[in-house]
Amino acid sequence: MAVATHCPYCALQCGITLDAGTTPVGLSGRNFETNGGALCRKGYSAAQLLEHPERLHSPLERGADGVLHPVSWERALDLVVHQVRAVQQAHGKDAVAVFGSGSLTNEKAYQLGKFARLALGTSRIDYNGRFCMSSAAAAGNKAFGLDRGLPFPLADLDRAGTILLLGSNVADTMPPFVRHLESARENGGLIVSDPRRSATAELADTHVQPAPGTDLQLLLGLAHVLLAEDLADTEYLDARTWGLESLRISLASWWPERVQSLTGVPASVIRQTARTLASAAQAARSGGKPVYILTGRGVEQHANGTATVSAAINLALLLGLPGTLAGGFGTITGQGNGQGGREHGQKADQLPGYRKITDPAARRHVAGVWGVDPDIIPGPGIPAAQLLATLGEPGGARMLLMHGSNPVISSPNANRTAAALRRLDYLVVSDFFLSETAAQADLVLPVLQWAEEEGTMTNLEGRVLRRRAALAPPPGVRSELWLLAELAARLQAPTVFNADPREVFAELGRASAGGIADYSGVDYTSLDAGAAVYWPCPAGTPISTAPGERSGTPRLFLERFAHPDGRARLEPVYPQPAAVDDADLRPGTISLVTGRLLEHYQSGTQTRRVAELQQAAPAALAQIHPDTALARGISDGQEVVLENSHGRVEATACLDAGIRLDTVFLPFHFPETQNANLLTGDAVDPDSSMPEFKHAPVLLSRLERHE
Amino acid sequence: MSERLVIIGFGPVAASLVEGLLPAVRSKDLHLTVLGAEERAAYNRVLLAEVAIGAAKPEHLGMADESRLRAAGVDLRLGTTATGVDRARRVVHTSGGAVPYDRLVFATGARPVIPSLAGLNFDPHADSTLPAGVLALRTLDDALQLHSVLRGGGKVLVLGGGILGLEAALAMASAGFEPVLVHHGPAPLGRVVDADGGTLLIRQLEAAGVQVLSGVRATGVQKKDGRFHALATDTHGLIHADALLVSTGVRPRTELAEGCGLAAGSGIPVNEQLMADSSGRLFAVGDCAEVAGRRPAGLLAPGWAQAGWLADFLLSHPAPHPSAPAPDLGCLPGPQAQGGEILMLKGQGLELTAAGTVQAGLFDDPKQQVTVYADPASGRYLKIMARDGLPTGFMALGLPRTGAELALGFERGTALPVDPSLLLRLDAPFEDAQAPAAGADDQLCRCSGATYGQVAHAVQAGCSTVEEVGANCRAGTGCGGCKERIEELLRLPAQA
Repeated sequence: MAVATHCPYCALQCGITLDAGTTPVGLSGRNFETNGGALCRKGYSAAQLLEHPERLHSPLERGADGVLHPVSWERALDLVVHQVRAVQQAHGKDAVAVFGSGSLTNEKAYQLGKFARLALGTSRIDYNGRFCMSSAAAAGNKAFGLDRGLPFPLADLDRAGTILLLGSNVADTMPPFVRHLESARENGGLIVSDPRRSATAELADTHVQPAPGTDLQLLLGLAHVLLAEDLADTEYLDARTWGLESLRISLASWWPERVQSLTGVPASVIRQTARTLASAAQAARSGGKPVYILTGRGVEQHANGTATVSAAINLALLLGLPGTLAGGFGTITGQGNGQGGREHGQKADQLPGYRKITDPAARRHVAGVWGVDPDIIPGPGIPAAQLLATLGEPGGARMLLMHGSNPVISSPNANRTAAALRRLDYLVVSDFFLSETAAQADLVLPVLQWAEEEGTMTNLEGRVLRRRAALAPPPGVRSELWLLAELAARLQAPTVFNADPREVFAELGRASAGGIADYSGVDYTSLDAGAAVYWPCPAGTPISTAPGERSGTPRLFLERFAHPDGRARLEPVYPQPAAVDDADLRPGTISLVTGRLLEHYQSGTQTRRVAELQQAAPAALAQIHPDTALARGISDGQEVVLENSHGRVEATACLDAGIRLDTVFLPFHFPETQNANLLTGDAVDPDSSMPEFKHAPVLLSRLERHE
Repeated sequence: MSERLVIIGFGPVAASLVEGLLPAVRSKDLHLTVLGAEERAAYNRVLLAEVAIGAAKPEHLGMADESRLRAAGVDLRLGTTATGVDRARRVVHTSGGAVPYDRLVFATGARPVIPSLAGLNFDPHADSTLPAGVLALRTLDDALQLHSVLRGGGKVLVLGGGILGLEAALAMASAGFEPVLVHHGPAPLGRVVDADGGTLLIRQLEAAGVQVLSGVRATGVQKKDGRFHALATDTHGLIHADALLVSTGVRPRTELAEGCGLAAGSGIPVNEQLMADSSGRLFAVGDCAEVAGRRPAGLLAPGWAQAGWLADFLLSHPAPHPSAPAPDLGCLPGPQAQGGEILMLKGQGLELTAAGTVQAGLFDDPKQQVTVYADPASGRYLKIMARDGLPTGFMALGLPRTGAELALGFERGTALPVDPSLLLRLDAPFEDAQAPAAGADDQLCRCSGATYGQVAHAVQAGCSTVEEVGANCRAGTGCGGCKERIEELLRLPAQA
């Protein structure tokens, strides 16, 4: 029987149809608004994950022999409970930590947060979205008082005349997104900023190629020109924002010639780009084609990621775009449920509904829904990178429950993360394959895959989608909702944990009611009937199931921004005087940027197990400029070494004149000696705790094999 | 008790230092007093020419947010002139009373050099009163004066072939005024251009609307009714104009430092750690500082690098204890002496980026790598000098992207490409030529991985639309970027 659901991978959540009646399971593109029936290679081949021979079918316990052995669920649950009790008795509640994921359904993300706070009584919960959306989220909250990746439906881009895309390679990461760039491309208005001539930059009418780590300066230069040449929309700024004068002062020192000497982008290009944006925005305000500014991980995954997104938002505000029909600002969420994952309480500082855990009113409300005393909800925990780095150390957690994440590959400074996991007293990993992180666990719990579970996902535009079960799970596999409910009961949690997704969603709705991300007006019945619902959607909001109609809040901020006074904030950005890293100045050092390939998703746990994808991209290729290679005696296809103080990676050279001379690119999907995150460092953003993934100084050389 | 730090001067470099110190001011670990002689907080001198031509508003030049700094706890005293420093008692005397300090930073900047021409008062230490119609372009008042001259339709002579004079002249030309640039060398920017580059630069300046008079030896100014009337020269006789913009360099303001016993050279002498004496309490940054014997650059970037370094230093090293000797910091690296000073010039149809020196000829020094590209008809000229692969100087005229990349590399000390002509291609007006014809095994559709062969096969099997091809082999069903390539294959005549 054919079931309408969504692709398991990225935040575009392309509509697909699964037919479990055929062997192998049939998968085809479905005419859904974000993908219009299109799929990428990852999506087309996703069904190969379903009856995969490497699928885990039984809990695995590491025996005295150091090997993982199958055990019963009964024993597995008892082991977890026993370990939680022992560790907490000896080291306190916070000695047990939970690590979640932007790939979990809303229901699981919500339940995980509740489980940590009530069943474990720990403050130590955070998730891999910290490595993904946290900088954009922090900047969005500061500027608008609310963070939803795209505050407008993706389809709004279909009318765009101009799109400035900063650090995002959608042509590889979410190919069907490119269909929404068509209008801007036809208009000659796609501007892409990327140190690489990426597949997306290839599509651009203008490709701006700043040196890695200088996106912030480029944006300050663009904003400087808007103010210096009187191109900003002062009427809009007066009516809808605060802070123009402070912003103006902060931008005074970023004239284009100075920015040129820092970014490598010519002053004339900076001026021209600013003028192009300004005239397009002016035309858009009088009924022309809209103008959008969109950011991706390329500019966000830096130690100044929040400041960089603030600078991009400032640019959009100066152009008078956000909260109008003339365009807007958005960030392109990456993980499948990267949006919902950051709303329901698996973040260290958050309760469901995007509420602050430190806000007494928020604690009272959520405690009311949970039927507990607000005082038993722990306070804020610590962000992901810190949570992982301190594992097994004094003050750090000693036991970790990992759900839907593979930080051995995906966290920065992977050597350090692997060492931290080894310091743990006990590591429990829930996954459906033996990921590199699961392979280090003391206990592995086999859980449901996407096509076996019911639930909801919130896509990159803040639309709530139904994920549907198309086939029965293999025997021995359990849902994480069941697992959390069983553990909570055994741990004598002070409240009930439901295992039914529909019930959990209804509870999540009540817990979110009145919060920023209010889901209380959304239910499975209307979603199943085809309603297109965007949060916030408070209880009582009329929901339409008519095709083509949108419910909830498809477009945010049209009347007011989410700050109490309704105005957006221009956030002056003062880059700290460049902390010159000595390693950066060493002769011969070049900049490593990490990123994604079309064929793989995140840590590759899934896509490296799909033959078609693995065949197409079997190993890490280091993209190097031919001249940079020549200077190091490297030829195409040769083995190379990249190294710095954090680690060493081996890869195969792929010469490409489309990358800057001072830059080398590595995908981060591959394990062991090819793991790009062996080279990324410990620096994190002061606001968001986002690690610096996109810039690391490395030395590049030919791999010398010694006999 | 928190440390008392006093900064004398509130220009852009001081503002950057204050920014770096702000966390400690907020946490009350530092009591920071800033003395600014002007009534205005730090402002952007780079835009003064824009103000003069009416393209920028004076009120938009601010570089420091007065209210933000005050809210953070900075004791900001504008319109307060420092009159003396008592090093023994550690007090700065000012027009508004005495200010005690634990550590003191001179950020007094520089003032324009007024050349010794007959008719101009020459006093190196005075903010001299110039005759009407003679002005420098250092303060906002100067810019407003120039603005009123220009608005009155006046003709302006710019004296001096340095970067600031050129910028002012180009700004005026861009607004439709007709400035005349007068300088004494063979070409403006003497040290950073070579003979051919200089000739082309003059040609480009003229094309941008700046009349250039080279090799001029000025001797005096002639006044009429007390106003500037003409520049007297040995070489070109009298050159008449309504105003003379003097742009012959700047001189550090050192009198305060000298007054308290610090010897002045070409600035306030400081060591690599920016210290002006052995007490560990006196520092100097920016245009007033002669760091380890190096003459101040007169550019902002080195000053900002010093400010960033000094902020870190002050926050991480507490003031010396009154009774203890100053710690020996001889081995502590000072602010990074960056690759060097980079000059950038903009104007209509004129883009110049240059650094270092490029005057040596192609064969002057066998150890010097020299690269030259010249296309004067299109206004393009490139010369790169390098030693051991590292650039020691370059000039890029009419080649914006090349210039930008060279500047970045020069700043960071990156090696030149093995093949420097690569840099030129960055400014190619079009993309590389089409890729060679694709073979059957080459990928046509990135999203699905479908090859040209597979699509051709689908066409032969009877598919006649992009959709049918997609249904057959998935090509074109992802991002849609290969639609045109599929359409091309559909248009090919059917194979027999």
